[in-house]
Amino acid sequence: MYESPIRRPLITGKTSYAQITDDIATAVEAKPTKWWYIGFIVSLAGLGLWLLTVTYLLVTGVGVWGLNKTVDWGWDITNFVWWVGIGHAGTLISAILLLFRQKWRTAVNRSAEAMTIFAVICAGTYPLLHAGRPWVIYWVFPLPNTYGSLWANFNSPLLWDVFAISTYFTVSLVFWYVGLIPDLATIRDRAEGVRKKIYGLLAFGWNGSAKAWQRFESVSLILAGLATPLVLSVHTIVSMDFATSVIPGWHTTIFPPYFVAGAVFSGFAMVLTLLIIMRKVMRLEAYITLNHIDVMNKIILVTGSIVGSAYITEFFIAWYSAVPFERYAFVNRAFGPYWWAYWAMMTCNVITPQLFWSQKLRRNITAVFIISIFVNIGMWFERFVIIVTSLHRDYLPSSWAMYSPTWVEIGMFVGSLGLFFTLFFLFAKFLPVIAIAEVKSIVKTSAEEHIKKTAEKEGIDIKEVNPQIA
Amino acid sequence: MGHHHEVAVHEEKFVVPARLRNITFGLMGIGLVAIVVGLMTDSHRFWANFLLNNWYFLGVALMGTLFLATQSVSNAGWSAGFKRIPEAMATYLPYAFAGFAIIILSVLMHWNHTYHWTHEGIADPTSPDFDEIIAEKVAYLNLPFMIGRVVVIFTLWYLFSRVMRRNSLAEDLQGGFKMLKRNKTISAIFLPVFAVSWAMACWDFIMSIDTHWYSTIFWVYHFAAAWVTAISIIALTVIYLRRAGYLSIVSEHHMHDLGKFMFAFSIFWTYIWLSQFLLIFYANIPEESIYYQERFEHFKLLFWINLVINFVVPFLLFMTRGSKRNESMMILVGVLLIIGKWIDLYIGIMPGTVGSHAHIGFVEIGMFLGFLGLFTFVFTRSLTKASLVPTKHPYIKEFVTHEVL
Amino acid sequence: MSSQKYIIGTFNDEEPLLEAVKEVRAAGTPIHECYTPFPVHGLDEALGYRRSRLPRAAFMFGVLGFSLALFMQAWMLGYDWPMNIGGKPALAWPDFVPVTFELTVLITALGMVGTYLVASGFLPGNEAKMPDIRCTSHVFCIAIPSNTADYDKIHALLMRHGADEVEEREIEL
Repeated sequence: MYESPIRRPLITGKTSYAQITDDIATAVEAKPTKWWYIGFIVSLAGLGLWLLTVTYLLVTGVGVWGLNKTVDWGWDITNFVWWVGIGHAGTLISAILLLFRQKWRTAVNRSAEAMTIFAVICAGTYPLLHAGRPWVIYWVFPLPNTYGSLWANFNSPLLWDVFAISTYFTVSLVFWYVGLIPDLATIRDRAEGVRKKIYGLLAFGWNGSAKAWQRFESVSLILAGLATPLVLSVHTIVSMDFATSVIPGWHTTIFPPYFVAGAVFSGFAMVLTLLIIMRKVMRLEAYITLNHIDVMNKIILVTGSIVGSAYITEFFIAWYSAVPFERYAFVNRAFGPYWWAYWAMMTCNVITPQLFWSQKLRRNITAVFIISIFVNIGMWFERFVIIVTSLHRDYLPSSWAMYSPTWVEIGMFVGSLGLFFTLFFLFAKFLPVIAIAEVKSIVKTSAEEHIKKTAEKEGIDIKEVNPQIA
Repeated sequence: MGHHHEVAVHEEKFVVPARLRNITFGLMGIGLVAIVVGLMTDSHRFWANFLLNNWYFLGVALMGTLFLATQSVSNAGWSAGFKRIPEAMATYLPYAFAGFAIIILSVLMHWNHTYHWTHEGIADPTSPDFDEIIAEKVAYLNLPFMIGRVVVIFTLWYLFSRVMRRNSLAEDLQGGFKMLKRNKTISAIFLPVFAVSWAMACWDFIMSIDTHWYSTIFWVYHFAAAWVTAISIIALTVIYLRRAGYLSIVSEHHMHDLGKFMFAFSIFWTYIWLSQFLLIFYANIPEESIYYQERFEHFKLLFWINLVINFVVPFLLFMTRGSKRNESMMILVGVLLIIGKWIDLYIGIMPGTVGSHAHIGFVEIGMFLGFLGLFTFVFTRSLTKASLVPTKHPYIKEFVTHEVL
Repeated sequence: MSSQKYIIGTFNDEEPLLEAVKEVRAAGTPIHECYTPFPVHGLDEALGYRRSRLPRAAFMFGVLGFSLALFMQAWMLGYDWPMNIGGKPALAWPDFVPVTFELTVLITALGMVGTYLVASGFLPGNEAKMPDIRCTSHVFCIAIPSNTADYDKIHALLMRHGADEVEEREIEL
């Protein structure tokens, strides 16, 4: 495959295949660094808080949350949507970018997919706990029962959600694991003793034969083809939890694509937050380069702008509809008692990503890190605004109410971050964080030294056409 | 890596064959007859069809520019070799603008009653025609503001498409990377400009026909429809040009990719269709569900044909790898999609204009063929104006060696 | 399977391997397999492998999932225990789209990945049958059955293409 030398390099430094294996596998083999321990212990503390608040919730009941009969969805569903949304970037990277043949995907797909899986786990805990009695959660599935048989209601978007989230989790996990098998074999073949046994068990007897690779590529492509509509469907169905209702501010037809764009937007912000730390701590700067960060920021800019257009559309059509309730819902969002949440959302989601029009900022790690945090916050506020401001003042002014979270809700949110990061730290320690085999497959087109060679062969001055190469 | 294609890249000058030119004239002739018949029998029907076809080809032309912009910002190499096709499509824009100028003029002259909100006294509480809901919307839906918006929007579209084309042609002469970069910047700016302006155009020209009704996803829906049409036209043109002995640098790999685009975006269109339909069906709010009620009652057959032709058939036919590389299959799917998207627009526009007695007859088919003839005439004439192969495009070598697994 | 004698050639790059494969095949010598650290573009073609039939398996599972999901919902809500929900008909087809879609994807993905793993013999704890454990890192191997090959000729051919080592071994592949 020929590639033009004006394309930016995706692997810098020395890039022999053995070197790539070493660079990535060493992190799995070596003792964890001091930073890993610090991070892991902090995450464990968060996980502890999560366990504590969840136990208290289960022992006492959902009444310990700040919900009331008007605002009956609050932080729980906000966090649910926030976490699911974060997961979407992983699937976008692993599936959609595979279909679009984006080579930069190879360096970030593994960790982004891991993020997806952990984020979906965190998301799943909220409806599970909101159900009140998680031990009978299997009732959501269409199982024969003593009512002989009153089946689950397939007309309910909440049930659609059950199917969407569980399918999403399963397929993401399978996709991730299929991709991991060759790399687990790499670790297996470098290990000794018990480690060899464990990784050998996990690697399923992978042998790297041409036939195996052919099937591997076929399976990856079809899984990508399945995961692409799947990821769209997941946040579409999440959006339908709201949009199928008649609540002003919830019932709007643009919700499905707008939620998907928002999900990818927030997910990329989280990917960046994680990768900026990870590439530093694990010394992967040669694989997760500034060019990777640059292009991810462009996706943030695009999806952020789509989200911005959806905000404008919603606001305009609310007015255009001439429905007084619809109009009030939007005025109340911006100027009602929760105005601060609305403007926090607007600032973080609409204004901050626009900074990424500047290439300088897109390639400034500190700036990117800060902006990514802003986007994470903004997208959390978006869900809070949608849920709480629409609910707290709907058709009947006599039942208007305010809502604020209790310590249990706050604890559970902070705790879920602990759960997420605990899982992520374990992943970063025990599994290869970069898809070793896939990165090797782009060396001949996208490694810095090879781009230089191509330029030389074609008699092109590399410094002029590709200033990213020193 | 093993495969070394050494395909020579050289200029190709397209000449419109006399036969094709005669066909376009023939089609325009049929269109003219249909226009006359339409005007003489039922002016409502005439104006509705005029709007339909004008909007249809406006979308196709603009999506040409959008296609170029998306390819440019994403540094795409796979489409570089046939970029002259979307460029030529966009040169139809001024003709579509002229069409809309006629529509606006006809509304001003009270020849055309397509837009309910332009009726006299509609926002006047003392008038017998007073409409309470429309009165709430007149701050946006009024002719002076609308004309102003449309002028700005059309000017922007024209400038962007024009400058992008000019730079692309300049690249052919001077080579280098300057024009690539310049067009990338222009494309990046075009994307948000497109989003906002397209949304407004959709509201102004189409959504406001059913003046009471509203849907936030509306402009995304129309984008998806026009986009699929444009990709299909690109694919069919590539096939035509190859069969006529041009564009030999296009291989089955490129066709495969175009096929994937058609496949994926017909699914995307269906997704947007379902999002709008399902939410309105589910919530069942009268002022919204009336939209589908009208269409389902009086256009039932087309309602189902729309889904079959725009989703089921392309989905099943294009699922396999081989079918996307098969020219006859691509012609079949492409033609179906081009007709399907016209039907889609037909059920979008007719209920609010002609009403329940609308039907597809000579006027509908004739006017579509007439517009198709005009579009093809302009489009193919623009194809002759520059080399079909952008020989100095920085990604042309990637294009030539392009391979799809 | 029992072990057999193979000529094993190792390379440090995919390009010479690919060239060697083409030449060995052109000479009419059958190749058992190649082993590489990553998917080498064009290698399956060079080895004369047919395209994988996994897409067909996937399609079958898709049809199965789609039918099962649609039948389940229609039977449960339309026939076994119809309910009036929101004034909608018992068979509110648009409402069945999301679950039908999800189950189609789920069953397709699981079915196809299951087929892939079983067909390739990749199951938890299976022994990896490969000529050189460095093949999962940076070594590219070709394995040619000895009984149908002339060792000296193959040795010379592989070395000419830049092989690092060529040797004959009895192993299970």
